Formats: sequence, C-alpha cells, structure tokens
Amino acid sequence: MKKISLTVNGKLYQVEVEEDMRLLDLLRDKLGFTGVKEGCSEGECGACSVIMDGKLVTSCLIMAFQAEGKEIITIEGLQKEDGTLHPIQQAFLEEGAVQCGFCTPAMVLAAKALLDKNPHPTDEEIKEGISGNLCRCTGYAKIVSSVKKAAEYLNKGGK
Amino acid sequence: MELKEVIKARTLEEVLDVLDEKGEKAKVIAGGTDLVIQLREGKVNPEVLVDISDVAELCFIKETGDFIEIGAATRFVNIKESPVIGKPFKGLQEAAGHVGSPQIRNLGTVGGNICNASPAADTVPALLALDAVAVIKSKQGTREMPLEDIYIDRGKVKLEPQEILYAVKFLKPQPGQGLGFVKLGLRKALAISTISLAVFVERGENEVIKNIRIGSGALSRFPVREREVEDFVKGKKMDNTVIEEAAEVFGQVLEKRLATRPPVEKDFKPYAIKGVFKEALNKAWQRTK
Ligand SMILES: Cc1cc2nc3c(=O)[nH]c(=O)nc-3n(C[C@H](O)[C@H](O)[C@H](O)COP(=O)(O)OP(=O)(O)OC[C@H]3O[C@@H](n4cnc5c(N)ncnc54)[C@H](O)[C@@H]3O)c2cc1C
Ligand code: FES
Ligand code: FES
Repeated sequence: MKKISLTVNGKLYQVEVEEDMRLLDLLRDKLGFTGVKEGCSEGECGACSVIMDGKLVTSCLIMAFQAEGKEIITIEGLQKEDGTLHPIQQAFLEEGAVQCGFCTPAMVLAAKALLDKNPHPTDEEIKEGISGNLCRCTGYAKIVSSVKKAAEYLNKGGK
Repeated sequence: MELKEVIKARTLEEVLDVLDEKGEKAKVIAGGTDLVIQLREGKVNPEVLVDISDVAELCFIKETGDFIEIGAATRFVNIKESPVIGKPFKGLQEAAGHVGSPQIRNLGTVGGNICNASPAADTVPALLALDAVAVIKSKQGTREMPLEDIYIDRGKVKLEPQEILYAVKFLKPQPGQGLGFVKLGLRKALAISTISLAVFVERGENEVIKNIRIGSGALSRFPVREREVEDFVKGKKMDNTVIEEAAEVFGQVLEKRLATRPPVEKDFKPYAIKGVFKEALNKAWQRTK
C-alpha cells in the first residue's frame, strides 16, 4: 500500500492505494465516483475519461500512484451545490444527446475540456474534441449540437 | 514478479538512483498508454515502477546550439502545439497530432513512443527522417546514438536496465529543407497506423533533390529508414517522372520485404505506399519553399 493525496472535484483526499491500482479503480471503487465508467479498459472508448490538471485523460491508463498531487474533475464535480446542472449538462438534456447514458459523463467532460480551451469551436473542432469518446447510441449528431449550444450558454455567461 | 513498490519521481536524479539500485526489477512508466495495458495483461511484470511523467527535467522542447531537443517525457500534445519546432518541420507536429485521440495525446510521450518499440509508432518515422539522435542517461553518465540504432527488434530497444532515454535531438531546419508526414489509418481516431511515412528533403540548385531521408512506420518489425528509395532519389531533379519512378521502387522494395506476410499486408502495403509516398514527398517539397 502507498499513501497518496489528490484533489477530486475541489476536495483533498488522502488515501491508501494498492500498487497495481489504476486511477479508474481508485475513483470508482475507493472514492465512489461512479460517474467514471469502465468500458474497454484499454484507452479506446473514453468512458473512463476525467479531467486531470486541466486535461482530458483516460483514467484506465493511469496508475493510481501517478495521480499524487493531481487535481481531478469528474462528472460529479460539474453541477452546482444547489443541484443546478452545468450548462453543458443542460445542453445535453435539451438536445436529447443522452440515450443509454453510458458515454455521457465522459462526453460532457470532453466537451468541458474543449470549451475551456476553445470557447468558439467549429463543428470540426468539436468532432476532434470528442474523437476519443465512443457512443453506441446517438450517432453523435446531437452530441455535436449540444456542445454548440453549451458554448452559446457559456459565452453568454452561464445559464 | 509482483509489483511491490511504486515511486512517483520528481527529479531525474531520483529516477536514475532507483534504476541503478533496482536494475532489471524496475520499469519506467511515463504516460502509461502502452504500459498499463501490458501490466494488466501480465506481459511485463516489474517489481518496481518509477513514474517519470512529472519529472520536469524530462519535459521540454528547446533549442540547444544547432539542435532542437525534446525531452523524453514530453507529451504528444506539447509537440503538436510547440512554437519551437518551426514550419519546415511541421511534419513532426502532424505526426504527434495523428496519434490516437485527445486523451492519448495528453498522456502519451515521445520517449514512450520510442521505447515501446511498436512498428506503428507515429512520431518515430518523423524523427528518423530528421536523423534524430537519442540521448541516454544513467547514473554513470550520458551517451548518444543515432535513433535508428536504438531498435533491436519489435518491442526491444538497446537500453540497459539502469538507463533511460533522456531526450531526442535533431538539427534545426535550414533554408531549403522540409519534412512531410502522411498516415494511412483505418479510422480517423484511434487507428494504430497501418502505414505512417515521413519524408525529409533538401532542395538544391535547379530543383535538385540534394538530400532525402525517409522514415517508415508499420512497414517493418520496427520503424526504419528506407535507404533503397533514398538512394534512388538522391541527386535527381525533382519532377513527376522521378516521383513516379521512386514510388514504383518503394512498391518493389515492400513486395520483397512483405512477401511472407499475410495477404492483406503483402498485397495492400506495396500498392498503398505509392500514394502515401508521393503525398509525403510533395508535402515535404512544398515546405522547402
Ligand atoms: C487507444 C490508444 C491509441 C493509440 N494510438 C496511437 C497512435 O495512433 N500512434 C502511436 O504511435 N501510438 C499510439 N498508441 C500507443 C501509445 O500511446 C504510444 O506508443 C505512446 O507514445 C506511449 O507513450 P507513454 O508515455 O504512454 O509510454 P508508457 O506506456 O509509459 O511506456 C511505454 C514503454 O516505454 C518505456 N519508457 C517510457 N519512457 C521511457 C524513457 N524515457 N526511457 C526508457 N524507457 C521508457 C516504458 O518502460 C514502457 O516499456 C495508442 C495507445 C492507445 C491506448
Ligand atoms: S475504459 Fe478507459 S478508455 Fe475505455
Ligand atoms: S448514449 Fe449510449 S453510449 Fe452514448
């Protein structure tokens, strides 16, 4: 076991991790952030994506001990304390970009990582931004339009 | 072997000390995008893992004298976005930009791309075409070798257990030089490339191709230089005939090399390379202007 500290959704955690544990296991099983999904376990589907130090990463390819000192954002960190949804979440709901929902938490985080860097993305840039996230259900069109809508909301100063 | 100890290193000295002490029992982890999967499949079984991904001394892109030097733990995303590399060698940035997905580019490092020694490593053909040098460090000191010589076989590099790849470096672009990169993948994102090709050219007087270096990925057991094709082109005047003839030569070289490979590969690659080569050469030539 090894003791590490990391920040998840603004809160500092000090936890013991097994040597062979992945960040995905730590977030889901130890800390209870079950919005982080396990799909392929090999970096292909993106369902396990989180934002680490401002960058979108697949938590199935990171060992837990590597996250020492990192700041992580999961989907649980997006909505406000009073339960109001984040503008990106709101846009996904309004546009009907959610079907089974398995890809959704990571998709929303991919959108956030993109919009944080590029507040006015083109369709091409949106597609590129979510290219590491697979969705079996929606055919992506509604996801792309949600990200566009979310950009509008955010540029208007949040909804 | 069971994983007993994991170390998050913050300095190069720390990394080299651990490797010196633990030798073969230890393994370096950077982005983890190759290694974590291999660990889980039991393909590698180190006793000690040393994380180098947050060692600042290994994350840099800078000019040192006549060279551009890239630290081994530099992420693909940083190469893609670097202002240091310069327009003529944009092909290297395109290679980094072609890797996987945003997530993989945010994690994966150039050192991991080299040391994993996959035949399909995308940045390696570009670095080979730039005639890059590998800078290797251990507690005992620093040594350098041509990047081309670092490969022993698929999945194997010439590093001692006490050593790490510290950086790669190549000469800064000179007037008249250019680098082109083309990747032929099955899917836009996440296709481990079926062919990736980088061509470096230097334009001489009267449109003569004064120098050419070709680096290929997924055409051999590890990324290689394509010297037969280089020798055919070098010194000739750049025109359509030369391009067409060289593409034919490349096709023939691959027909021989891949003769014992499965039909898909043996029939497809010698054919596909022609178009890929022409495109990469044209891109490189454009950039010499
Ligand atoms: C979904 C997915 C898509 C991918 N797509 C592509 C692609 O399109 N193109 C491509 O080229 N690759 C691709 N890859 C492969 C991988 O991302 C790259 O090879 C990457 O460069 C590996 O770097 P890393 O830092 O993650 O290496 P790690 O996984 O951390 O390490 C890989 C190996 O290199 C060794 N190593 C790492 N750094 C050093 C060092 N400085 N000195 C000595 N040894 C070292 C490690 O011990 C290990 O053996 C993909 C991977 C995934 C999971
Ligand atoms: S579970 Fe991590 S990318 Fe699929
Ligand atoms: S909504 Fe089902 S996978 Fe995307």
